[in-house]
Amino acid sequence: MEPAPLPGLEIRHAGPKAMAVLLGTAIIVAAFIAYVLYARGAFENTQRLVLMADDGAGVTVGMDLTFSGFPVGRVQKIELAADGKARIEVDVPEKDAKWLRASSIFTLERSLVGGARLRAFTGDLGDKPLPAGAVRPVLRGDATEELPGLIASMKRLLENLERMTAEDSSLNASFASVKTLTERMSGPGGALAGVLGGEENARKVITALDRANATLASLEKVSARLDGMLGKADESVFGAGGVMEEARKTVAQLNAALGEARESLKKADAVLADAQKVSASTRDATKDLGALRTEVEASLRRVSGLIDEINRKWPFARDTEVRLP
Amino acid sequence: MQATLPGRAARSILFGAEALAAALSPSTYTAPVRALAARQLCATAWEVLPGFVVFCAALAALVIRVIDSTARDFGLSGYSLDLYARLLVLELIPLFVALFVSVRSGAALGTEVALLRVGGVLDQGNDPLRAELLPRGIGVAAAVLALTAVGCLVALVVAYVGLYGFSPWGHGAYARAIGQAFAPAVLAGFALKVAFFAVAVATVPVAASVGGSREMRSVPDAAPRGLVGVFVVLALVEGASIALQYA
Repeated sequence: MEPAPLPGLEIRHAGPKAMAVLLGTAIIVAAFIAYVLYARGAFENTQRLVLMADDGAGVTVGMDLTFSGFPVGRVQKIELAADGKARIEVDVPEKDAKWLRASSIFTLERSLVGGARLRAFTGDLGDKPLPAGAVRPVLRGDATEELPGLIASMKRLLENLERMTAEDSSLNASFASVKTLTERMSGPGGALAGVLGGEENARKVITALDRANATLASLEKVSARLDGMLGKADESVFGAGGVMEEARKTVAQLNAALGEARESLKKADAVLADAQKVSASTRDATKDLGALRTEVEASLRRVSGLIDEINRKWPFARDTEVRLP
Repeated sequence: MQATLPGRAARSILFGAEALAAALSPSTYTAPVRALAARQLCATAWEVLPGFVVFCAALAALVIRVIDSTARDFGLSGYSLDLYARLLVLELIPLFVALFVSVRSGAALGTEVALLRVGGVLDQGNDPLRAELLPRGIGVAAAVLALTAVGCLVALVVAYVGLYGFSPWGHGAYARAIGQAFAPAVLAGFALKVAFFAVAVATVPVAASVGGSREMRSVPDAAPRGLVGVFVVLALVEGASIALQYA
């Protein structure tokens, strides 16, 4: 028996429409699967890079390896290696492999917010390319590991801050002094009163300044007078008939006198030469005088002997002095 | 007489399995079955398509806006597309489509089955079920699949436009995020979940009505009973899917 027809399904061209819906659905599903495969890099050639990390926590299959913030690879597999390290296998598309070089460094960073990040750093892009299947160690950059030290430092910092801001702290005392200073500075004496510690002192300084001003004014007058005097002195020294001219004349005269003196000295020199000659003659004469003296002494001794003889022969003669010419 | 809850569940599962087996059997697709299934598919999916697309686009624009601005506030804008794909495309849109189709067509189907049962048509064996209800169930299930596919496509397109505008330069980052969100296991789980949703929406209201009372006054209760059954099954499937994916 035929079932009773159900209402609400009288639709024109239901077959083609249903076919269109099914076809559209199939196309959407197929296209989406193809797009996901493309997005996951199923259609591009890749090279394998193996990263060895001490700790693989936070690393997941599918996560990116980034270079300068751009993804250049994708984690395909994570396993525990024979030496107990985490072995992370990364597929790098060949078009992005140029960013990784033999000297590239790889880091695994874990931040407080968000997942772990695998990053590559290449210092020298001219270095030789990273070979396929290369095994590289991963350096760890863990923000949470720094946390206890950071907290300890912050605690010390806060304690210092607390000490600094305490009621009897040096900082507060300094601020109080600054306040006193600024109060004084805003008084009638102004900044001077603040610096010198009182209005009286400021007044003294102002008086001293006034006096100094007066002194400077009188000094200015003195200076003007000195200027006049200097002008006159200049005139008397360097002017016509002045000291300088007289001095010049005197120097000329002195030059003449010196010339004369030079001549006199030459003459004296000649005299001295003559004297030298005289002296030489005298030396010769002195030699003759020695002989003469010897002769004289011989004569004297003979005379003495003669006198002694006479005396012996002439007893009343008592004057024995012999007078020489 | 009302069956106990485990009994009803067992009967629903059995009914669903039989319907699924019949739907997967090529011999089922005779000309009248194809015509009736096409009419049901058109009534459930084709007629509501424009409104459904507009609704999905609006919902997607709203969600991507909320997620992106929130992620930016927390400095996590790199994760906004991933979060969006997981939340809207993988979870919300399939659930929303299943609920929408079950409210729009499943309730009516359950009521009609209840009327058939009151009229004694169903006492004539499996032929009436196969002739009338199976094509309509197939149509409803196909509508769930089609609307889910269209809804996800609209959501993904709106997400791209919402994040990058009409510039082509966001495609690299977009493709990478999509590739990361839709891992093969995730995609397989998603397909399985949508298939379960389709089967549940197509069979649970009918199963609830087939096992109902023969009295005329019980007919108004058939639709709510079927809907509650659908909601429970959808919640169980969704919960199991989330548990398997994120546990």
